[in-house]
Amino acid sequence: MERAVPFDYDLPAKDPFWFRECFLMTMPLGRKAVNLRELLQALKEVDTEVLHYHLLQSRLAVTQPVVEYPNDFALWAATALQDVKLAEKLSSFDPLEYDDLEQVRQAMVDILEDYLWDLPSVPWARPGFEFHFCMASMVVIRSEIPATTLREFCHALGKVGLDSVYYHFFEARRRHGHRRVDDFSFWIENNFGLPELVQAIREIDLYFYTLKEVRDTLLQLILEHLGEICGYPE
Amino acid sequence: MVTLNDYAPIVGPEVIGQLQRLAERLRERRFVHINSTRTGGGVAEILSRAVPLLNQMGLNTFWEVIQGDPTFFEVTKAFHNALQGHDVRLSPTQLRHYEEVNEENARKFLWEADYVLVHDPQPAWLIKVMRPRARHWIWRCHVDVSRPNLKVWKYLREIVSSYDASVFSMAQFAQNLPHPQYLIRPSIDPLSEKNRELTQEEIDRVLNRLGVERDRPIVLQVSRFDSFKDPVGVIQAFRMVRKHVPCKLILAGGEATDDPEGPRIFAEVMEAAAGEPDIQVLLLPPDAHHEVNALQRAADIIVQKSTREGFGLTVTEAMWKGKPVIGGAVGGIVLQIRDYHTGFLVHSPEGCAFRIRYLLHRPEMAQRMGRLAREFVRQHFLITRNIRDYLTLLTLAENPGRLTLEL
Repeated sequence: MERAVPFDYDLPAKDPFWFRECFLMTMPLGRKAVNLRELLQALKEVDTEVLHYHLLQSRLAVTQPVVEYPNDFALWAATALQDVKLAEKLSSFDPLEYDDLEQVRQAMVDILEDYLWDLPSVPWARPGFEFHFCMASMVVIRSEIPATTLREFCHALGKVGLDSVYYHFFEARRRHGHRRVDDFSFWIENNFGLPELVQAIREIDLYFYTLKEVRDTLLQLILEHLGEICGYPE
Repeated sequence: MVTLNDYAPIVGPEVIGQLQRLAERLRERRFVHINSTRTGGGVAEILSRAVPLLNQMGLNTFWEVIQGDPTFFEVTKAFHNALQGHDVRLSPTQLRHYEEVNEENARKFLWEADYVLVHDPQPAWLIKVMRPRARHWIWRCHVDVSRPNLKVWKYLREIVSSYDASVFSMAQFAQNLPHPQYLIRPSIDPLSEKNRELTQEEIDRVLNRLGVERDRPIVLQVSRFDSFKDPVGVIQAFRMVRKHVPCKLILAGGEATDDPEGPRIFAEVMEAAAGEPDIQVLLLPPDAHHEVNALQRAADIIVQKSTREGFGLTVTEAMWKGKPVIGGAVGGIVLQIRDYHTGFLVHSPEGCAFRIRYLLHRPEMAQRMGRLAREFVRQHFLITRNIRDYLTLLTLAENPGRLTLEL
């Protein structure tokens, strides 16, 4: 893509961007579901933070190198219930389309109730693959990596941990109270304008990317809109 | 001495920077680990490296080992088996002996601490007599307690409930406890003698010394001789494979000083392997880390056919060496292996035999799985991640119940 606007990459921002690092501690509830009906019942009863964990936060916990399913519920349907149809439905469920976690809960419950209604029998997890409910506590610290210019931002983005990408790109949407606004595009918009780049960042279909892919995509978008300022991806 | 910076080429400098920033806020805090053995088993291996690293990062960390007589270790082995589901009967006299040994140990401990991490049931009773000596007591359970024996768990639960928090290796091990429960996956040390890179010469020297010839593909299981590791099931699987494909099986087992059942299981394995020249059983001392490393690197396929497993660090070690692993679908092995990506999960000797044959016939698939497995371990199961979790845990211990803690 041609550079959209001539831009001074060393123009200082009004407010520097301080990258945060976040450290997730998973907290198992000691509650499990052995079949789809139990999953549905639990989803009606557990803290909404549990849904937040299994739909979004768990990508900071252990994830396999090849991601087939974007959330824990879809993965469980596929591997434990061996019900690919349900896994497909749950994969397409995007929690970021909703304003709050109560709405997310209701939408999940609706999907599972509809699905169970049409089934002749309740699907059970194979032994050893029960669904174990978790939530998480998170420690957030300000790293010593500030970015004052877009050039610095770009370099820093290539260096920070993937937890930082998660915090600024996924968790940010809860803090901003808007499902499309992340910290990166928010900072760029408020300090440099650059509406086309901001829009492109907000159009990233993030739910289906690993954190590493999100970072690579962000850097690629900056490269496309502003030219070679990052030296990344190499 | 190994320093934190030595890990930078393996995990990336940003990971090291993060650890330093987290540790800065915990500087000078006194952090005690307590377990029951200084050698043998994954806990001792990790502590021997994690404790010096935590000290380098500015935490005043030390490691205590409780001492006990054979009767004490028989009781704690019974705890271990009961937590993993075996029907175990313990008399009040035996339980009292367990408590007394802990109390004797407590009398020798003179320290005070900010945080105490008590590993497994052996030293758990210490809290009953030492509670005022530390601000935060955390119980770290390394055992598969997904289906514990109820009687024994009731006894231990009463003790564990006194702690401020518990840590388990898998979500399915979490229990109904009156305090926060956390998940910390175990880890391996890529710079230890068991996991560091070896030259071909080093590998060959070990194989020569152990009398292992590389004339056929090698299938290997490394584990303590423990019934839950199902070494006899591995021999059954191997006999099925041998009808179709030439290969050899090596069962290499370490002994742990806290395991009185080791010799009996070893005798059962020797009986099952009798008359089969392609099976080699190697009884290795607990410090044979270099030998285990060489065997894992020499193997073509690594098996861990456990029927119960806390986490399965031997699986992690094998994956870190880029090997395809066939593991029993239990405990932490399920978390580590995904069929056709990072290995195979099996449920029976037949399944194990089938997957061994599959991989022997498809070396390119075996290589691909090994590559993915190594990256997976790099991301999730190295000691640097374990240390990060410890530091996060200590930070959260000061603020129980907070879902987001901004520092």
